[in-house]
Amino acid sequence: MKKIFLFLLFITLVFASCEKDDICLETTTPKLILRFYDVASTSDVKAVQRLSVWAEGKDTLTQYKNISLDSIALPLDVNATQTIYHLKRNQVSGNKVNNEYATITINYVTEEIYVSRSCGFKSNFSSVGFSIDNGWIQSIASLNNLSINNESKAHVQIFH
Amino acid sequence: MNQKLMFKYFTSFLFLFIIAQSFGQTQKDSTNYKTGYGIRLGVDISKPIMGLLDENYKGLEFVGDYRLRKNLYLAAEIGTETNTTSDDYFKTTAKGSYLKIGLNLNAYENWLDMNNEILVGFRYGLSNFDQTLDSYTINTGSDYFPGNPIEIGTISKDLKAHWIELVLGIKAETFKNLYLGFSFSYNILLSIDDPQGFKSLYVPGFNTVFQTNTGFGFNYTISYTIPFFKK
Repeated sequence: MKKIFLFLLFITLVFASCEKDDICLETTTPKLILRFYDVASTSDVKAVQRLSVWAEGKDTLTQYKNISLDSIALPLDVNATQTIYHLKRNQVSGNKVNNEYATITINYVTEEIYVSRSCGFKSNFSSVGFSIDNGWIQSIASLNNLSINNESKAHVQIFH
Repeated sequence: MNQKLMFKYFTSFLFLFIIAQSFGQTQKDSTNYKTGYGIRLGVDISKPIMGLLDENYKGLEFVGDYRLRKNLYLAAEIGTETNTTSDDYFKTTAKGSYLKIGLNLNAYENWLDMNNEILVGFRYGLSNFDQTLDSYTINTGSDYFPGNPIEIGTISKDLKAHWIELVLGIKAETFKNLYLGFSFSYNILLSIDDPQGFKSLYVPGFNTVFQTNTGFGFNYTISYTIPFFKK
């Protein structure tokens, strides 16, 4: 009897030790995906040269620092209803004199959605609207009343 | 990962059956010794101890069984629990009471007039509970804009859950009519109420609800038999 008691005690300890059993595998808060097109030929993708991106009052995003890309994914601030991004490009040589700037302001409404125990709550974005200043971005195109709830394709087309 | 856990569990199950089997084979006794029949009442001592060790937990459980036949017991547990769980992105508190009722089969062949048990049983369990979302942080999936912790305290009241349990356990008569017991259960939910836009993650009596709607429970009991008659 004592042996069995010890055996059962052992089993309890084994189970108690493997308690936290799941890690977050589901998708959480989606990022805003921008794709860059050629303003002269609007169906052609056109990479931005030496692009750097940062949000108002923050450091440059580490993955978008002086890099040439035709699309980028930007996190939006879930604690606010507006995020402002600054985009710097340099199409010529990398000299400071050739830097060009543009600003995109994104307005939205957040919607909190429960995902799972390990992932917690995510936030989707609805009624997303954009405005641009007079920088190197010529125009912008997106769906009216856009919702951002996945990252499967670009949400906005940027023409430059 | 849950499946792995279940597999481990069933392996342990198998071990216990082997142990039970070997006991059954070694003891053959033709003489009939009389043993007491009656109602046995007790308390789960693990819950108050856990309550002392963990400030996020409070619980109390009373257990009882009634011997129907030589190896068959009608068994029940009644209790209350309050448990606060801190997960990576939120903190929840479940509070409520529960009742479980079922049968225990004693697979142990006793020597002489000994009264020890290796139990295999099942239970039907039901619980009525409240779940509070104490606080949460939006999972933004990025360090650039981390979510702010939000203290919210939303209570979802009068949630109900039903489940079944497979129970394995032992009881040893340490003094006359006084038993020490340990049991372990594998729980499967039949139905559960979830709060609006959220999920019930802990059910009193059931324990943590895994993604597969299963769970594990255990208790350490001290109980006393009030004998009615001997047979």
